[in-house]
Amino acid sequence: MRKLMALACCLVLLGTIIAACGGGGGQKDNQAGSSGGSTAGNGQSSESTADSSGQQEEAPEEVTISIYYPLPDQTEARRLEDDKIRRFQEKYPHVNIVKSDWHYSVDEIGLKMAANEAPTFFNTWATEAKFLVEKGWAADITELWNQYPYKDQINPILANQFIIDGKVYGIPQKGYTTSIVMNKKLLDDKGVPVPGYDWTWEDMLQTARAVAEPDKGIAGIAPMGKGNEAGWNWTNFLFEAGGEIQEVKDGKVTAVFNSEAGLKALELYHRLRWEANAIPQDWALNWGEAVGAFAQGRTAMVIAGAEGPLDQALNQGGMQPENVLTFPMPAYEKDGRHIGVLGGDWLVINPNATPAEQKAAFDYITFDYFTDDYLESLERDIQARKDEGKFFVPPQFNYFDNNSEYGQKVQAIFERYDNVYKYDPESNRLLDGKPEAQYHTQDYYAAMTNVIQKVFSEKGVDLKKELDAAAAQVQADYFDKIVME
Amino acid sequence: MFVLPAAAIFIVFLWLPIAKGFVYSLYHVDFVHGNTFVGWDNYRTVLSDRDLLVAVRNTLYFVGLCLVIGFWVPIFFALAVSELRRFQGFVRASAYLPNVVPLVVLYGLWRWFYDPVGPINAALQALGLDSVAFMTDPDWSMISIVLMETWQQFGSAMLIYLAAVLSIPKDWYEAAEIDGAGIWARIRHITLPSIRNLVLLMLVMQLIATSQSYQSQLAMLDGGPMKATLTYALLIVKYATTKLEIGAASALGVLMFLVLALLAVIRNRLQDKGAGA
Repeated sequence: MRKLMALACCLVLLGTIIAACGGGGGQKDNQAGSSGGSTAGNGQSSESTADSSGQQEEAPEEVTISIYYPLPDQTEARRLEDDKIRRFQEKYPHVNIVKSDWHYSVDEIGLKMAANEAPTFFNTWATEAKFLVEKGWAADITELWNQYPYKDQINPILANQFIIDGKVYGIPQKGYTTSIVMNKKLLDDKGVPVPGYDWTWEDMLQTARAVAEPDKGIAGIAPMGKGNEAGWNWTNFLFEAGGEIQEVKDGKVTAVFNSEAGLKALELYHRLRWEANAIPQDWALNWGEAVGAFAQGRTAMVIAGAEGPLDQALNQGGMQPENVLTFPMPAYEKDGRHIGVLGGDWLVINPNATPAEQKAAFDYITFDYFTDDYLESLERDIQARKDEGKFFVPPQFNYFDNNSEYGQKVQAIFERYDNVYKYDPESNRLLDGKPEAQYHTQDYYAAMTNVIQKVFSEKGVDLKKELDAAAAQVQADYFDKIVME
Repeated sequence: MFVLPAAAIFIVFLWLPIAKGFVYSLYHVDFVHGNTFVGWDNYRTVLSDRDLLVAVRNTLYFVGLCLVIGFWVPIFFALAVSELRRFQGFVRASAYLPNVVPLVVLYGLWRWFYDPVGPINAALQALGLDSVAFMTDPDWSMISIVLMETWQQFGSAMLIYLAAVLSIPKDWYEAAEIDGAGIWARIRHITLPSIRNLVLLMLVMQLIATSQSYQSQLAMLDGGPMKATLTYALLIVKYATTKLEIGAASALGVLMFLVLALLAVIRNRLQDKGAGA
């Protein structure tokens, strides 16, 4: 009897669960139905809105979007985002917002999409455009983009990174040209002259050598050496020496980073390690560890988009703005180009989201673009930081042209505050951004990371042989498998 | 009925994923566009991967290092602690303490220990020795990880051994002492034979656990330098997450499952034997 009772309870519970699941689906169906003009449905909010207004078709569909939200330690950025959410919901009360602090990761995006757990929109980088589109993990937002009144004022260099075959897949937020951020105080303390912004590889090497104090654990420069960031850092030097990662010709992708330019770039790394002894003894550093070492004063220079290292150095490392200089990447030789990898943040909308959710996400992303409300919010944030003794580090360039009317308004706000970091105009003038390659860039970075680790580990390594082997591996494992349409 | 919840949990979270792993190893897995049956292609892919041999070699090296460096430590400490007449509780708690250190703190702490200007290198230099690049020297990187893991994990194994040692009847020791047996003779002729089956069981369990290790290698060095810490399990993780080849990762997992299943059978046999003893 007790067994029968228990079985009956289990069946009732099971039935309840199934009913609950079914009920959820029904509600969703009804919501979708109400947007289509159906009078049937028991979605409470839709029904009451329809009753009170008498114009059911005007009642906006209630949607919930999960948004890309700053990490817990980015308190100032969170404050700015919370303000945006408040203002957005005043205008779009039918949009519910769920904060997601998942930030794009090459190792996690596949699982996020497979589990349908990626937020309605998420951040990503320039390297990922083709990859995300090929995988079907970035929504085609061409229609929304074409209806967007400010689309022609968006920085075209940034926008083009996510326009593939005429279709738009991402909205730019901000960008950078990879730079070298320098701790001037370390140089001053050792009496090392600060080089000019129009510097060369040799200037960088000699500066790094002069400032390094290996016995005290202080490096001259900290090229990243742990994960794929190592390959990304090195690619800047490949570009400066005139090299390319890959060549696309006649429907075939060929690895060409084992060129003469590649060899020069690898020789520079070898000299930094073995001739100048200027890199950290523990060189297995990823982005966070290298930037952290810079903020702690354990390296005089770090290679990255400037905003991150500057923010850490000023707001966590306690450095003063006049002691932290942003240099363009050094030129291979005098009067050469200061090429740095073009990077930045783009926002991509989840293709699994419904059209209404995609529209709400697009509205949210562009909500503050070109508005005076944002200018007010920005100024409030800068003032609040000033009150807390914190600095605001603007991106090197924005979704808008810095010289446009809107750009000038933003600039005027920056000028009013001494807690806003100011990039040197001469340094900005020399920046020369180059977009990353589009095919298997992360795989190429991984292969080069292994080569770089060998260069840092073995003094007598055959540089050309290692480069050739890496190029052959990338070619066979990845590029030969590309099927061009 | 009472078994139902446990069975459901096992089916959903253990047996179903294992079965799915076998199935996925025969498919090109694409959760968005749908899976495609590819037969033995995934197995061919992983068996022709040049990193596979490196990963197998590194895993065997890691397992061996854990035996050489780590396996005897908890036994030694259990024997030593069992002989303590005072402060035994304090020592037991102290030895277990590293176990409760969160992994993020553990990795940060040991990065500092291993720093070129950190305490270990400072001590080496004070002794007139050369400093060691614990993290970036491929000859040292795996050893460094084993030392760190031994420090963190020996406490829990020590408590298990200690429980076994303390359960040995006291009168055996008293009789041995009357017969003139010293501390080493007591350990050799009473303690070690009494915990022999437990030692064997712990050995097999350690072999299984260490052969699946990848967290420290991933967090500390991402498999580097020059793939010196790329273990088999880390290769699976990289296939699944970085290369997004779930099918190939499943194939690697199936191959590993077959090897570990053999060890599990041995473990069960030993456990039965231990229970019967």
